[in-house]
Amino acid sequence: MDILYLLIPLSAVLVLAVIGLFGWALNSGQFDDLEHEGERILDADAHEMVDAPDFCQTQT
Amino acid sequence: MSTALPASPDQRTDAAVIDDPREFAAFTRLLPDAANGERLAESSLRIGGMHCATCALVIETALHEVPGVVDASVNAAAQVARVRWDAAQTRPSALVRAIERAGYTAVPDTLAEARALRATEQRTMLWRLFVAAFCSMQIMMMATPSYVSAPGELAPDLAQLLAWGSWLVALPVLLFSAAPFFRGAWSALARGRIGMDVPVALGIGVAFVASTGAALDPGGRFGSTVYFDSLAMFVTFLLAGRALEMRARHRAAEQLEVGAGRLPDGVQRRCADGSFETIGPRGLAAGDVVRVPLGQVFAADGLLLEGRTSADEALLSGESHPVPKVAGDTLVAGSINLGGPVLMRIVRVGADTRYEAIVALMREATAQRPASSRLADRIAGPFLLGVLALAGIAAAAWHVIAPERAVWIAVSVLVVTCPCALSLAVPTALLSASGALARSGVLLRHLDALERLSHIDHLFLDKTGTLTESHLTCRTLAACDACDTAWLGDVAASLAAWSQHPLARAFGTAGARIEWQAVSEHVGAGMEGRDAAGRIWRVGSKDWVAGGAQPPNERGAAVWLGCDGITLAAFEAAEQPRAESAAALRALAGEGLRLSLLSGDRVEAAQGVGRALGIDDCRGAMRPEDKLAAIRDAQACGERVAMVGDGVNDAPVLAQANVAFAMAEGAAIAKAQADIVLLGNSLQGVAAARAMARRTMRVIRQNITWALLYNLVSVPLALAGLLPPWAAGLGMATSSLLVVLNSLRLSR
Amino acid sequence: MSVRPAEALPVYEDAPVRWFALAAVLWGVVGMSVGVLIAAQLTWPEFNFGIPWLSYGRLRPLHTNAVIFAFGGCALMATSYHVVQRTCQTRLFLPALAKFTFWGWQAVIVAAAITLPLGFTQGKEYAELEWPIDLLIAVVWVAYAIVFFGTVGTRRVRHIYVANWFFGAFIIAVALLHIVNSAAVPVTLWKSYSAYAGVQDAMVEWWYGHNAVGFFLTAGFLGMMYYYVPKQAERPVYSYRLSIVHFWALIFTYMWAGPHHLHYTALPDWAQSIGMLFSLILLAPSWGGMINGVMTLSGAWHKLRDDPILKFLIVSLSFYGMSTFEGPMMSIKTVNSLSHYTDWTIGHVHSGALGWVGLITMGSLYHLIPRLFGRREMYSTKAIELHFWIATVGIVLYIAAMWIAGVMQGLMWRATNPDGTLVYTFVESVKATYPFYVVRLIGGLIYLSGMLLMAWNVIKTVGAGQVETVRIPLLPAHA
Repeated sequence: MDILYLLIPLSAVLVLAVIGLFGWALNSGQFDDLEHEGERILDADAHEMVDAPDFCQTQT
Repeated sequence: MSTALPASPDQRTDAAVIDDPREFAAFTRLLPDAANGERLAESSLRIGGMHCATCALVIETALHEVPGVVDASVNAAAQVARVRWDAAQTRPSALVRAIERAGYTAVPDTLAEARALRATEQRTMLWRLFVAAFCSMQIMMMATPSYVSAPGELAPDLAQLLAWGSWLVALPVLLFSAAPFFRGAWSALARGRIGMDVPVALGIGVAFVASTGAALDPGGRFGSTVYFDSLAMFVTFLLAGRALEMRARHRAAEQLEVGAGRLPDGVQRRCADGSFETIGPRGLAAGDVVRVPLGQVFAADGLLLEGRTSADEALLSGESHPVPKVAGDTLVAGSINLGGPVLMRIVRVGADTRYEAIVALMREATAQRPASSRLADRIAGPFLLGVLALAGIAAAAWHVIAPERAVWIAVSVLVVTCPCALSLAVPTALLSASGALARSGVLLRHLDALERLSHIDHLFLDKTGTLTESHLTCRTLAACDACDTAWLGDVAASLAAWSQHPLARAFGTAGARIEWQAVSEHVGAGMEGRDAAGRIWRVGSKDWVAGGAQPPNERGAAVWLGCDGITLAAFEAAEQPRAESAAALRALAGEGLRLSLLSGDRVEAAQGVGRALGIDDCRGAMRPEDKLAAIRDAQACGERVAMVGDGVNDAPVLAQANVAFAMAEGAAIAKAQADIVLLGNSLQGVAAARAMARRTMRVIRQNITWALLYNLVSVPLALAGLLPPWAAGLGMATSSLLVVLNSLRLSR
Repeated sequence: MSVRPAEALPVYEDAPVRWFALAAVLWGVVGMSVGVLIAAQLTWPEFNFGIPWLSYGRLRPLHTNAVIFAFGGCALMATSYHVVQRTCQTRLFLPALAKFTFWGWQAVIVAAAITLPLGFTQGKEYAELEWPIDLLIAVVWVAYAIVFFGTVGTRRVRHIYVANWFFGAFIIAVALLHIVNSAAVPVTLWKSYSAYAGVQDAMVEWWYGHNAVGFFLTAGFLGMMYYYVPKQAERPVYSYRLSIVHFWALIFTYMWAGPHHLHYTALPDWAQSIGMLFSLILLAPSWGGMINGVMTLSGAWHKLRDDPILKFLIVSLSFYGMSTFEGPMMSIKTVNSLSHYTDWTIGHVHSGALGWVGLITMGSLYHLIPRLFGRREMYSTKAIELHFWIATVGIVLYIAAMWIAGVMQGLMWRATNPDGTLVYTFVESVKATYPFYVVRLIGGLIYLSGMLLMAWNVIKTVGAGQVETVRIPLLPAHA
């Protein structure tokens, strides 16, 4: 199972990368106020659809 | 709540206070200069009126519309807004205005610092836990081949590779996740004591060093088995236990803070000429009249003079249901004005207010180390020494029997025996219990009291203010036959509401509102008013109401009501037993408690109230020394005594009782002596506290029994070499977790 | 009043989303048609027609690649580009590069469609494409990663919505897996040899293969699920906290489940055991995700009655739960000793592919496509409802047939006489399987007809709609 000489070090490096990623996420506040975040996507599209003609206003 | 505030000229003065940089420190910090030279500040505002998480969105949008706002985020769970703003373009008052326009209230959040500290602590713990758990999983994956393979099936160099991989992934666990244990052990040793962390740190350290040795030289002294997986799992479980304990601690702190609210920065005080000036709450004095706008916290204790509103008195009851307030009602410092702007007369300020007293009590309570905890710590010391000795003996003995196992068995002994269960068992239980009690309006000042409370067999109660409402209540004694008694009561009450006389206030505020014209107060006689039909009503003393005619004879009547000279009703100003008292006392008696009433009032009054509430032993006309003697006599008979009181003269008696309860409404000194303060002013609190005390003691007994049994079983197993380190670690961690979880049950 | 030019107001870049979404539908039809053809060939070998380019051996990888990478891949790219923009409230990073990913990916698909029937193959499952195409895949994938992570990096919402974590993990994992597994030594333009050999190659291949399933077909589509289920149900995810925990738990247990594809092969026993153990552990995080998605409808189950798109989404989660239970069960060595090499494995794959991947994609595209063309709903909601029932019937027929066939084959192959000889010859088991192949073919045809119905609906929707620019909300409502 010599392939483990590739897979094990790879996996160890990945572990460190994942820990770093989690640390970054934690420190940048990704895990604060979680329940509120779940609802955000529902309100976002209140003004999603914009009719193209309204887009530009022309001088009268 | 979506009523917008009416604009008022004094909102400018509000702003003057909140925008004053000297007031900033409480809720704003200036950030170091940003890259493009703008001066940024970050403010924390506490939002009121949020009823769901979508409100957060509305508020954030509103804040972003304010020019100069760089960033705004609302934490829906904590109801706090954090706003980053450019000092050159805007000021805090503009932020508050924007939030108010959106239909919410905002007050500067001075609890931000404490909250921030807790948040940092939680984050760090979460990170340590994640690293430990994640690495444990990975190490376990790398360790599994050696567990599942048949002997000789796994090539030695492959096994070596897996061992080194495990070593690498165990490093973060050792250096980062386990750091608190090493730090704790070091600081304990530096003080010359053996702390709880010492065997833990020793176990982890030895396991790591020995495993490293095994990885380096499989044929050598440490054998060929590595135990990085056990080590990592052990750290993970221990951290999980600590995380739970930290959560319990934080929750208790939050609950204690939640009602405390905060005093406003600026209060509008009415000047002699009728205009209003804004001053700090510390500048208030009793007798001042202040205007309290909607959403502001009442800066001091007082009476509502003009206007109607409702108040959030969470700091008393633990619940935020708005309490309706009309003219004449008491307003409590620290509660929040929810309904509308009102005028209020200050009665008590500063340290005398209930709010300040409660906050001081709360701080005291959280800072303590109860006696039982200290006891557990004292036992832990020798226990740990014993553990270390045992581990040493095991190492020596096994070195003779089977040298390659010696280190591992010693590690197992170190790791499996842990007084964590002992040291955790009591504090977590007490903390959970106190948090749960605080939520239902019972403040535990001395955590020890819980233990004493569970053994109480005799309850002494004061009368006035404890069993009865602290104010009188008017009850209709007699009324003319042709009239509707209830309506007469309403008429009397609504007319009496215009007076501050104690008898008038005894009418209370319930009942229909009747419009009066030309109301006048006649000192020493009563109130007179003209109703919509033009009739002149009088409420007050007998002769004045009768207006010269011969009044009917009613014994015990204190207040009379008449119309156009005809006496229509007589009222008695009675002491009203607190509504819940009867039920609470019945429950307590039902549990086998002996009840006694001690009162300084007349014997008949004492017996009247006592009988009404089902207390057989009622003693009246007792001076403070008599009350003290009564308690001492009971204790001399071997009884364990609890006392509920609230008056100044109850203080020495409270100090004598084994457990002392005080009503929150009562005198400061009574509260100072009490072990437990009933914030809800209800005897239900006594029953609740007692029930919680017994539950807590049960849980503590369970915890300690478990801890002892566990150690008794596991230590011999470990000594005999029957417990591999991974099992030892698992056992110890699970044991601690069990104890913490068992204690957390109390907070339900 | 003054003229406000369109460029002054930021808009989302939805062109790649549109193209990928439509391409997904197209390749779905193509990939499933090839599937139907090879199912027919297994039933009636005459359908090979004696033409090498249409032979089963060459068409099978075309089918797998088409449904996974063409259909699934385009769907993932469409939805990830859409979701990342909407949840980050910002325009796609480097739109030109995003458009390149579209054309590059189509080039990969077309190259596959040409080379695989020509017989150019590396012989590794789900990684059959030869080295030039592998290189192209790597280039396109790096571009995809740049666009996706660039968009996340330039977001105007501080919090990164959970769906993006799943998409991000999928992108990075697939990049890693692809690069490691496709390492090969080229000999000619269309021939290379794997950098690994023998059982080592098998280990790498199934490390890749299972994680391709785990990250491409699971994590990626979970990202889709976490956005489109709440959007369609108009309710937030049941427990957002659980979704975060779910994500990290899934990341925990990657990497070692692969060996369960290699039970009772030359792979060392202990490696097989690890594969079994971690496959079983994987069950927990998977079900966490399923529960989270299904319970999003808690308190609004009545919506399922009238909304066929929700039916697609929720039923897909049920199939997800079923497959992620069946999988660990089949990883157990004793169970695997019966199921390995039988049609049960095919049944398992297709319950996941048709049930989970297919239905979640269809539901998500039905939600997405009308909105890309200025409409709120598809041209025909009745057609969606009909499609749902057609698809479900097709799936059930398919997997039931394969389960029965698989177990039967396993039992027949291991049946021994008292004297130790085999009871059945291999051919006898093939003959016994025949009726189930017919049923499977019917199931697949039904599923394909549902897909054709979807294609029709999509064409009508596009015809009745118009491309519109969507303004990004000016006030970052969430910062």
